[in-house]
Amino acid sequence: MNQNTDLLTLRSVSKSYGTVPVLHDIDLSIKDGEFLTVLGPSGSGKTTVLRLIGGLEPLTSGEIRLDGQDISRMPINKRPFNTVFQDYALFPHMTVSGNVGYGLSVRHIKRKEIARRVAEALELVQLGRFADRFPAQLSGGQRQRVALARALICQPRLILLDEPLAALDLELRRQMQEFLKSIQREIKTTFLFVTHDQEEAIGMADRICVMQAGHIRQLGTPHDLYYKPNCEFVARFFGENNLVAGKLGPVQGEQRPIETALGRLVCSISGQPHLKAAPDGARAFAAFRPEALRLADATDDGNRLYGTIADLAFAGSSTVATIMTGADNAAQRLRLRMPSRIDGSALKSGETVSLCFAPHEGHLVLA
Amino acid sequence: MSALPRPSTIFLAAITTLVAVLLYSPLFVPIVSSFFTVSHGNVDWSSPTLSTYVALAENHDILVALRTTLVVGVCTVILSVVSGTLLALYYHGRRSGRSILQFIIFLPFLMPPIISGLALLIFFREIGLERSLLTVVIGHTVFVLAIVYRTVLMRLQSMSRTLVEASYDLGATGWQTFWRIILPNLSSAMVGGAILAFALSFDETMITILVTGTQSTLPVRLWAMMRLGFSPDINALVALILMFTVLLCVLAARFLIPRQMATERS
Repeated sequence: MNQNTDLLTLRSVSKSYGTVPVLHDIDLSIKDGEFLTVLGPSGSGKTTVLRLIGGLEPLTSGEIRLDGQDISRMPINKRPFNTVFQDYALFPHMTVSGNVGYGLSVRHIKRKEIARRVAEALELVQLGRFADRFPAQLSGGQRQRVALARALICQPRLILLDEPLAALDLELRRQMQEFLKSIQREIKTTFLFVTHDQEEAIGMADRICVMQAGHIRQLGTPHDLYYKPNCEFVARFFGENNLVAGKLGPVQGEQRPIETALGRLVCSISGQPHLKAAPDGARAFAAFRPEALRLADATDDGNRLYGTIADLAFAGSSTVATIMTGADNAAQRLRLRMPSRIDGSALKSGETVSLCFAPHEGHLVLA
Repeated sequence: MSALPRPSTIFLAAITTLVAVLLYSPLFVPIVSSFFTVSHGNVDWSSPTLSTYVALAENHDILVALRTTLVVGVCTVILSVVSGTLLALYYHGRRSGRSILQFIIFLPFLMPPIISGLALLIFFREIGLERSLLTVVIGHTVFVLAIVYRTVLMRLQSMSRTLVEASYDLGATGWQTFWRIILPNLSSAMVGGAILAFALSFDETMITILVTGTQSTLPVRLWAMMRLGFSPDINALVALILMFTVLLCVLAARFLIPRQMATERS
């Protein structure tokens, strides 16, 4: 298991249903042993990527390579991958152990061996006591774990998970996220996890691949995606963000100013050569997170913004203020997140405030 | 229902009871009277007896007809379940040609039986097939195929497509998927369809009269007996058939309710 070798490579993969294209020229490498999440809104093509890899659908063009070998035409039952389906797809007429052992018994493995490995797999997903139950007698979370045990018992090179947590309630979903992550660490198998829930993606993934309208928009660690989004879509889709449109000014070392309707804002461009290379006057956005924005005091020399508090929303550990800023013809809504305090917020609705964020906490996104 | 005012609830209950009594009480008359002696067209209510049943058991013609009916029923069930299931499997998920096929399968079931029967009769004569129990079985199969096809197809359509995908995904071949996943999930629909097919074949009269040779099935035999006059053992026969049919219907309902629901209820 070397995290640096590519297990699976998609090379200019396209897919159309009839004349309707759903994937355009996808290039993607999955590293051995990683937990890769494909994140996107519904209709972005993320489930199609998973179905193409699993062999449930044929490619329209391009190729899929496993360890460098082209497997684009390998039939589904020969591919060393197993899928956890969104509806779990447990066989209703088989017990839990029948379901889990199915992948072994169709390969004519000896009964004794199957029984041993089924017991092991059920132990791993903590369902040892439920071996003789039928799927209809299990709760949603238990069915989910049966589906996982059934997928991993064949020791696949890659486990494909198609929004497996979508049907669970919030609390159970959190538990399952931790559970999946710990299982993945334990069995050291590569996971490809498809979801539309960005919180889920941040919590579990080593890397995230953001998709939209059949294209990959960005591939990177959750930290990269959060702090260095490469386009407006990722900046808006991934976590809460403030985006202010403007035109780029001349590069100043590792920073670059942007002229906006709210004034000149200076943002960091460190480690992002494409932002350094963009011409002066190019259209872009200044992007800064609600938690980077704070109330300014007289000594602050960061980017200054002025506005009126339109709304204060208490959200437990933090409080979110919605601030209206800019002139009437270019009104812009900003969000500010600050830790909640037991004696109530220092701010009041309707109050005029002066805000700031440090240049290294702002980033730029080309329009 | 509870939203209705009380007088109209009572009125509705009265109407429902009246309809039920009018529709279904005739069914109970032969059952009740099968346990009493009938003389000169009048039922003697004073002495309950099982003599009609004894007379029935000694009626050789009836017993032979019953056996013929059972043989025809079993053959029809086997033929229609096998072909109905194959057709449903073949046309499941296939768009082209399915509506035409369904139309053809349903045609004999929906047409007046006398037309289906005549069409078959002419067909058998054209191809030179002697009228016999074989022609009866063919006739019944053509008639009940729609029911089996429909029952199996509906189960197939309610089966999640991902079950088959999951089976392949886990390494199974097409053959293994069919025997171990598809067929077990269809089996209760097939049993249910078989029971309905048997019940339909059991009392089919019109087609049978037209295409049968020298042997007659139970309904045909009954038909013949009625023309000669009302004999008390017919009451016993009707009572037995009624009970048998009710049993079949209960069984069919049991198999046609999806397993999932059944488990959740218990």
